[in-house]
Amino acid sequence: MSGKSVALKSSACRALAAAEPGLWRRYALAFGFLLPALFLLGIWIVYPTVRTIVRSFFSDSGGRFVWFDNYKQLFTSDILRTAIKNNAIWVAVVPALVTAIGLIFAVLTERVSWSLAFKTAVFMPLAVSAFAAGITWRLVYLKDPDQGALNAGIRVAKDAVSVPGVLSEASPSTPALSRNGGGLVLRPSSRPGQVVRLGLTGIPPEGVPRGAVQAVTPVPKPGAIDGVVWRDFKPGGGQPGQVEQGELGLPGVTVQLEQNGKRVASSTTESDGRFAFADLKPGSYRVGIGAKTFAQPFAGISWLGASLITPAVIIAYIWIWAGFAMVVIAAGLSAIPRDVLEAARTDGGTEWQVFRRVTVPLLAPVLSVVFITMVINVLKVFDIVIAVAPESVQSNSNVLALALWRTAFSGSAQFGVGSAIAVFIFVLVIPILLLNIRRFKRDA
Amino acid sequence: MTTRRIAPWILLPAVALAAVVAGCGGGGGAGKGATAKAQNVSGSVSVMGIWVGEEQKSFQAVIDDFRSRFPGVKVTYTPAGNNLPTVLTTAVQGGSPPDVAVPAQPGLVNSFVRQHKLKPLDFARRTTLANFGRAIVDLGTVDGSFYSLVYKADNKSTVFYNVQAYQDAGVTPASDWDAFLADAQTIKASGLPAYSIPGGEGWPLTDLFENIYLRTAGPAKYDALSRHGIAWTDPSVKRALGEMAKVLDDPRNIAGGTSGALQTDFPTAVGNVLATNPKAAQIIEGDFVPGVVTSPIKPVTGYGEFTFPSIDRSPPVVVGAGNLVIAFRDTPAIRAFVNYLTTPRAAEVWIKRGGFVSANKKVPSSSYLDSILRKAAQDVTEAQTFRFDMSDEQPVGFGGTPGQGEWKIFQDFLRNPKNINGTTRALESAAVKAYKGS
Amino acid sequence: MMATAAEVLTHKPALAEPRSRKIVRVLAKSPVQFALLVLGLLWLLPTFGLLITSLLSPVDFQVKGWWQVFSAPHKLTWSNYDAIFHNSTILHSLLTTGEIAIGATLLPIFVAALAAYAFAWLEFPGRDWLFILVIALLVVPLQMALIPIFSLYNTIGIYDTVIGLILFHTAFGLPFAVFFLRNFFIGIPRDLIEAARIDGASEIYIFVRVILPLGLPAIASLGIFQFLWTWNDLLVALTLARSTQPITVAIFSQLRTFGSNIEIIAPATFVSLIIPLAVFFAFQRYFVQGLLAGSIK
Repeated sequence: MSGKSVALKSSACRALAAAEPGLWRRYALAFGFLLPALFLLGIWIVYPTVRTIVRSFFSDSGGRFVWFDNYKQLFTSDILRTAIKNNAIWVAVVPALVTAIGLIFAVLTERVSWSLAFKTAVFMPLAVSAFAAGITWRLVYLKDPDQGALNAGIRVAKDAVSVPGVLSEASPSTPALSRNGGGLVLRPSSRPGQVVRLGLTGIPPEGVPRGAVQAVTPVPKPGAIDGVVWRDFKPGGGQPGQVEQGELGLPGVTVQLEQNGKRVASSTTESDGRFAFADLKPGSYRVGIGAKTFAQPFAGISWLGASLITPAVIIAYIWIWAGFAMVVIAAGLSAIPRDVLEAARTDGGTEWQVFRRVTVPLLAPVLSVVFITMVINVLKVFDIVIAVAPESVQSNSNVLALALWRTAFSGSAQFGVGSAIAVFIFVLVIPILLLNIRRFKRDA
Repeated sequence: MTTRRIAPWILLPAVALAAVVAGCGGGGGAGKGATAKAQNVSGSVSVMGIWVGEEQKSFQAVIDDFRSRFPGVKVTYTPAGNNLPTVLTTAVQGGSPPDVAVPAQPGLVNSFVRQHKLKPLDFARRTTLANFGRAIVDLGTVDGSFYSLVYKADNKSTVFYNVQAYQDAGVTPASDWDAFLADAQTIKASGLPAYSIPGGEGWPLTDLFENIYLRTAGPAKYDALSRHGIAWTDPSVKRALGEMAKVLDDPRNIAGGTSGALQTDFPTAVGNVLATNPKAAQIIEGDFVPGVVTSPIKPVTGYGEFTFPSIDRSPPVVVGAGNLVIAFRDTPAIRAFVNYLTTPRAAEVWIKRGGFVSANKKVPSSSYLDSILRKAAQDVTEAQTFRFDMSDEQPVGFGGTPGQGEWKIFQDFLRNPKNINGTTRALESAAVKAYKGS
Repeated sequence: MMATAAEVLTHKPALAEPRSRKIVRVLAKSPVQFALLVLGLLWLLPTFGLLITSLLSPVDFQVKGWWQVFSAPHKLTWSNYDAIFHNSTILHSLLTTGEIAIGATLLPIFVAALAAYAFAWLEFPGRDWLFILVIALLVVPLQMALIPIFSLYNTIGIYDTVIGLILFHTAFGLPFAVFFLRNFFIGIPRDLIEAARIDGASEIYIFVRVILPLGLPAIASLGIFQFLWTWNDLLVALTLARSTQPITVAIFSQLRTFGSNIEIIAPATFVSLIIPLAVFFAFQRYFVQGLLAGSIK
């Protein structure tokens, strides 16, 4: 029975009433079935909604009637515009992904005997409160590889490939020693017979290589360039560039000698930091330390930074909701009569063809349910964003429901603007619903 | 004849009755004023506050002490954690606020006063003036009536440092801003970042700004800025931001670098300093720092505290925060409780349990458990200039909401400390919007 | 097992296959099994991390991530759980949560099933438009209703009661429940219902004897989700109640003034996780039983 016949029926109602007392009985019956639901929905949802729509046309404190001012703020405020943009990304990406993943899981687990264990594993995130799930993923995403699981995993891979240098934290202590590429080079060129000093700071006491002893300034020797690489720091700072009592040499550092841009020699420092390039022809040379010594260890990808935060939250969200899609679709799968599938298989189709031509169309209503539910959930997404995104990127990851809560409930009590946001969310979903309702009616 | 004989008989009980009635009437009026006999006050008081966990137990001890003196008054405490402003606003809006609340935001208190929801505490004014001093009374006075008193105070003009880290770097607590900045460079050279910055939350950055601003611009301008009497684009603000940038602009001198700091929440930032293997040497935050983590190192031997350095020879000032007692109703029981909270005893019960600083001058400093708390308290009670945390005095949407207003703009400033002009412009436009709405 | 030609020729029995090769062969045969295994483990990893975190003391956790226990298993400790269980607030709140969740699961299922049947199989004018209206309410975020309902509850006196929370959750669970169940009910073969009607059965009889049994898998799924949703709710209980505290509120109100207490959130999360998981297991069996009993043709 579609709405088309409504008009016909209502006009003929009275005429029929006398002829069919059963019709009124059916009304009363339907009414009886619907009454509890309509009562609850009317008071708990419809009434507050109407109140809120009305409220959205008033000022934040409720006193003045401000027409569409609140809506104007919605579209001009930076924060709210970001929220709208983010919701668009969520709607475009998440429902499709969740439904697809749920479908794949539901189909695959059908053939596996230990499907219950797998289903439990995938479903468990739903049983965890959104707040706890958010905290869990925030811990996974922490930038410091010592704390965030994801970056810890990446570090293991990365450091295996590019080993961090011996002195990755060091900086030069004097301007004469300047950065060159990834390494350091002493700017003024050196000549044989000179002593060069390469002082480094920023090295914590435990960062000094083993076996280091008090640094010693070497004596100049003719035809050689001698030098010392040492930790140019003592408590209080000391004098930069001067080897002082209490400052340790840095052993095991590879020092390079260049002439005219080409490397001519390299030497390794001893336990007191001294190194020497002997038997040198007269000329000007450059002394430096290669980039490998200063290779930075993996510092961690900033998953919780402004650019990656929305994808990061989306991943956490999919982790939670894929289980929902899987369970619902699995229920739908189990409701498909076995004989239909058997018939298709015996008709000579491959698994993939059976899946595509028979299973998926039969699952269409279930898939729609999941997809639409996810679209609506995603428009209302709230807890996961507030829990995963640190405060510094809250505005980058902002979504409408969160913006609503912040404006109305987070202390500033801007009920006018908050109500406008709520109405906007409401308006966004209606077309989607209508489209799919129409599709239902055509299928049914 | 008969009447005359009866009359005296009647008169006697009548007089006796009258005397009893007069006595009762007199007793009923005992609720007014401090002359009430403790035993006579009865009733109930519902209290809402932010304290949970350990702090809740401490406040319960205070309540129990109150009840030992006023056994007729029942006090129930409901915790609300960090969400007290939201919960309280909702309760007030719905028409059923608690009797007494202890929020931390003067801005929130101000909005309640403007909505005429609070009852004045003028009955406690004299005691507060005597025990706490003029500054505290002025803080709680709006339009001539006294509405809130600072029960628990926080000294936010403190810096906490790791003793071992300071020793390794060979520096000592600085009393002057330039020395402080130079020390930070020395600490960096020693191989440890100097600053642990909780940039994951906006409010610590506002605290740093306020400490600098109060010292560079002075109390008068500080007050003006709190009320939005001067704009955030004022040169004094730019100057303060310039000084602040000197702390924020070297990512190598911040634990985790700039991007790491933006994700670091406050307890983690504290844990970076109060550790056996610290990730940074110091954290610039208030006296509540040790209370937020389980510290593996001890006060004085493991970590120390010093007063925020003066800038350009600025006089000693304290930026503080606190928990303000406000009342939504007026009954004898409520008055008894509020009066009790102004006494030094109410503070001492908690002080003995640790983690409490009182602005009450009558509290003997020997009550404090360690020299760090003692010094923090001393700074507060002796402060000639005590100013409340500016962001707490602003409308909550500007000064107290994560992800927007001051909190967000200062986080953006941490991301890019060179952008002083852009930051002042953003602050000003956010302030204008917030003040217009209220 | 295929013996090589050489082995056959020499009459030597095939050597026992090295275990690693056997595993590889099994896995290669079923890439599906392998993929599911990896996916399942990956899915469990974050929760596993949280579990280990709940077994670490806060001091240890502050320094390094939870995987440190693999090299230092002595760091595991029950102290966090100890603290939780000696907390009577938390224990009492578990009971309250049960009351709310059970009530807010059974009631909407019952109410929604009635309405879903009406929308699926009863004819009356305006049925489809009414259905659209009901599920349009899906989009109303519950934050919208909090303030008006708060005032309403205070007026009629059910603020801070379990029944107040149950009714709120029921109402907001209805749109999805009606949507979901109606879509399932509509898939039930028309002839079954027509036959029953011809036989003179009343609609109520059809509802109880035909629809409900056939719709059990759907009802069971719905039940799980509604139960989980209400078990884990925080915002509604925070706004519409004060001393009636479900476990989420109890944990939440343990948060210190600044930041989050992992040493409370982690163990409390796991404690409150057990019941929903048990519910899931219980309903899972119900699915299977329903299938085996042949109630689905």
